[in-house]
Amino acid sequence: MRVRAEQQKTPLHVLQERRRRRFYLMLTLFFVIVQLIWVGIPILMAVMWSLVDPKNPWSFPNMFPPSFSFAQWEYVFKYTNIARALRTSYSIAPLAVLLSFVLSLPTDYIMGRKKIPGKKIFMLVVLLPIIMPGMVVALFLSRVFANFGLSQSFFGLVLAHTLMGMPYMIRVLTTSFQSIPQDVIDAAENLGATTFVKIKDIFLPMIRPGLLAGMIFAFIVSIEEFNLTFIIGTPTFETIPTILFSFMGYNFIRTNASVVALIMMTPNIIMLFVVERFLKSDYLAASLGKM
Amino acid sequence: MEENKHTLLHYLMLLPGVGFILMFIGSSIFLTLAQSFGLFSITGRSAFTLSNWAAIIQARESVDSLMFSLKMGILSSIGTVLFAFPLALFFRKGGAGKGMLGSIIKVPLFIPALVAAFLIVNLISYHGLVNSVLLRLNIIQQPMRMLNDRFGWGVVFIQIWKNLPFVLLILMASIASIRDDTIDAAKNLGAGYWSILFRIFVPLAMPGILVSMILMFIKAFGDFPIFSVAGPIYPAAISVRMHIMATLYQEWDQAAVLGVIIIVTTFFVIWAYSRFAELVQGEE
Repeated sequence: MRVRAEQQKTPLHVLQERRRRRFYLMLTLFFVIVQLIWVGIPILMAVMWSLVDPKNPWSFPNMFPPSFSFAQWEYVFKYTNIARALRTSYSIAPLAVLLSFVLSLPTDYIMGRKKIPGKKIFMLVVLLPIIMPGMVVALFLSRVFANFGLSQSFFGLVLAHTLMGMPYMIRVLTTSFQSIPQDVIDAAENLGATTFVKIKDIFLPMIRPGLLAGMIFAFIVSIEEFNLTFIIGTPTFETIPTILFSFMGYNFIRTNASVVALIMMTPNIIMLFVVERFLKSDYLAASLGKM
Repeated sequence: MEENKHTLLHYLMLLPGVGFILMFIGSSIFLTLAQSFGLFSITGRSAFTLSNWAAIIQARESVDSLMFSLKMGILSSIGTVLFAFPLALFFRKGGAGKGMLGSIIKVPLFIPALVAAFLIVNLISYHGLVNSVLLRLNIIQQPMRMLNDRFGWGVVFIQIWKNLPFVLLILMASIASIRDDTIDAAKNLGAGYWSILFRIFVPLAMPGILVSMILMFIKAFGDFPIFSVAGPIYPAAISVRMHIMATLYQEWDQAAVLGVIIIVTTFFVIWAYSRFAELVQGEE
């Protein structure tokens, strides 16, 4: 009895709220399905292509491969340089992230906390590696690198990847430094905090979320950097993108390319789900929202 | 007074960050410019000449390539924003399952551009999935040419697929800053869905829309790998043509001219954007 009485008394705005919530749920479901198709099907196709059995090829009228095997995977690991490229890629990326962090730190601090003339121009200069067309920089930077003996060298590649990741690092960390309230620093100074204590207890904890976001961006940029690596590193050093490109050029081997594509993106997607909560949109927007 | 004393030290502290970028990018811009006029040439003698510029400007391919790259840049930037804007609007309000949706949407952000190109190539190639399905359903009689097509739809499609989450992140932040009060007020005054969309959301999100469009344009215009995988044979994108010029024909000086054209176009578009952004913000 009481239940019915409550139902009768349900005010209109509660009903509207319920209806609204149901509508949003349906809409979410719709978008999830659309996105599953939009993102899932291309990946599924690559998985199927990588499992094609060489004895029973998959050709046009068939919607699915007639039989599956791991022969393509064995082939790629046995006869191509993929293992070495993986090692190169994943040893350049952390070094480039670290180097761009260390090199950018003084800049981040100055840009975030100090008033200096010309700051606006510096913030634009920082964006140059993103703004400049990759192939132009790659072709002519390779001439500069050649003069310094840096082309076809591991250190040269690390420098190049550092250069490409630096804009994200600087922009994100500058925003982090900016968002530290001056009161906190003043209070700490009043209480006699030394520079070391200030860094340890104020700056580092407060820039940490931004630092993580910046590192993630720099890491992704390094893993997928193609232009500079292709011009400066090939053929001495191959990273995963340049290997994939070689499979997609004149001799397009779809099955091998799908194996390499899957090897290349699996760690990234795992990383996405691990780091997703750090990757708040405000960081990217705050750092790139203004030119 | 205190500030002035420190300024020199502050500038010195900028060296490892800003200085590093300026040194490498600046030297490559300088070299591009110098080589386009025949100076610092690595092939042949170095002397000031305008012949490289004449050769490039007179070639019909150069104009076609530039136009094609511009077209791809503009179409990709408009297309991505059109796809991302409704999603960004949806994400403004909470709801069950949004977290999962957010994760799925962000997947292409973490997929390298070249891999994204490959994934989409599987779908849109002549005997790819899209054509197979459409043939099965009897919607088309002949497979459509969507990859390496003359118009460049394949390139646009790959750019949209890959960069949708990137643009979405920027748009979401600029839409999140629009307050509910504004919308409630508009509703009270009798605004319908469309007028709320076009007279509140779009104008207030305009800075975000402009930034994402410009970043997309830069990405798509100067791109190399996606163009060379999915672009047409002719006209080749201007970056592809520059690469061929330098590595295949060893005409580095003429490649430098193309490089200067790419740089100047990019900077011009950014300048036009910043003027337009000032105009939009001035109206508020």
